Amino acid sequence: MGRQAWFLLVSTGLFFSLSMGAISGQEFSHDIVLKSRAMQTGEAMPRDYTPDGRNLSPPLTWSNLPAGTQELAIVCADFGAGNPPPWVHWIIYGISPATVGLPAGLPVESHEAMPADLADAIQGLNGWRRPYYRGPAPPAGTPHLYHFSVYALDEVLGLEPGLTRDDLLEAMEGHILGRGDLVPIYERFSGSANQ
Amino acid sequence: MAEDRPKKISRRTLLRSAGVAGAAAAAGSVGLSASPEALTAPLPEQSSAAALPPVAYEHLTAEEAELLEAIADHLIPADEYGPGAMEARAVAYIDRALGGALSDSHDAYRSGLAAFDRYCRASRGGPFLGLSNRDQVSALIDVEIGSATGAATGFAGSSAVFFSMVRSHVLQGTFGDPYYGGNANFVGWDLLGYPGVRTRVSNADQRRLEAGELEPNHRSAYDWDTFNKASARSARTEAKHGD
Repeated sequence: MGRQAWFLLVSTGLFFSLSMGAISGQEFSHDIVLKSRAMQTGEAMPRDYTPDGRNLSPPLTWSNLPAGTQELAIVCADFGAGNPPPWVHWIIYGISPATVGLPAGLPVESHEAMPADLADAIQGLNGWRRPYYRGPAPPAGTPHLYHFSVYALDEVLGLEPGLTRDDLLEAMEGHILGRGDLVPIYERFSGSANQ
Repeated sequence: MAEDRPKKISRRTLLRSAGVAGAAAAAGSVGLSASPEALTAPLPEQSSAAALPPVAYEHLTAEEAELLEAIADHLIPADEYGPGAMEARAVAYIDRALGGALSDSHDAYRSGLAAFDRYCRASRGGPFLGLSNRDQVSALIDVEIGSATGAATGFAGSSAVFFSMVRSHVLQGTFGDPYYGGNANFVGWDLLGYPGVRTRVSNADQRRLEAGELEPNHRSAYDWDTFNKASARSARTEAKHGD
């Protein structure tokens, strides 16, 4: 990863941390471990999770959930895009804490069934106001960071479909027991470099 | 995820989610939402459309027409509610219009379809027609929301502009007056429950319409002398002379 990318990682990560504190207004010190077999923090996302590839939602796993976790929610956002930032790529909530992760390629059509252990999970509205994952498509030559965050909640919120990130954050206010982050990076190149 | 290839149903969501007004909104009002039941329901008889002769395209190449037909089929698929864009011959409408009213869009179609083909090959590993249903839908979504822009796809401008153009013309070809080459056998109007152009509506007609019992007349506006193209042109000319 180049110097520019590391600068982005540090500066955007700082902004992200500050903005999250301001948004939630809630102290939570428990760190959930959020991982993916496809990507790591600070490293490039594989193109299959972007529109330069199949644009599948990425596989995620989590561990070290705080005691008392009743429900999980996940948000993927780019704090270097959007007006105002962030640009939201994906939100999914109503996830049972009995699950240990999400498989790759969750549905993009309303009639497609979610995996059985995610039957109660709901994909909310992303920045395009679509209820599914759409991956990074930054301008060529500008690396962006993609913040995948998992939230552990202290109760089953019973949230309705169609929530945006702002709606979700508001609904989670006062219920967050812990959070885990995974922050891969993606850069598009002009020409065929992404192929 | 399974690489399924079911008969498409919720591709209509591409239209709804993009905020299509007018005809598409009317289509939504007759219940074009996807449901699990919709996936297993038998398709309706398509006899009227199936009886039509093959289209001889004049302005699109065979490859362009085939790709455009596949896209149109995703936008307005045949389903349990009735025929779709294929049966309405929306692409025949577009082809004809590219030689007339839409001639300014010919280059956009030529370059856009070529760019879409490049995008599918680069991102999903093959031509659109060879992709799984899921990858086809995913690729179209990326074009629709502008994510297929740049990165060697070759779209001139945002891919969303190309999608929007195609969507508009597919709607026109499905729900417009058959005079213009689409809406074959009035399948689009039947889908909407539109009873057809009428120059006179009696009270009894109005009551039947409100009760959903008014039979469609299956007449183009230009089947009426009042709206005949020649009459309309003549009327305009006379009006000018009278000024």
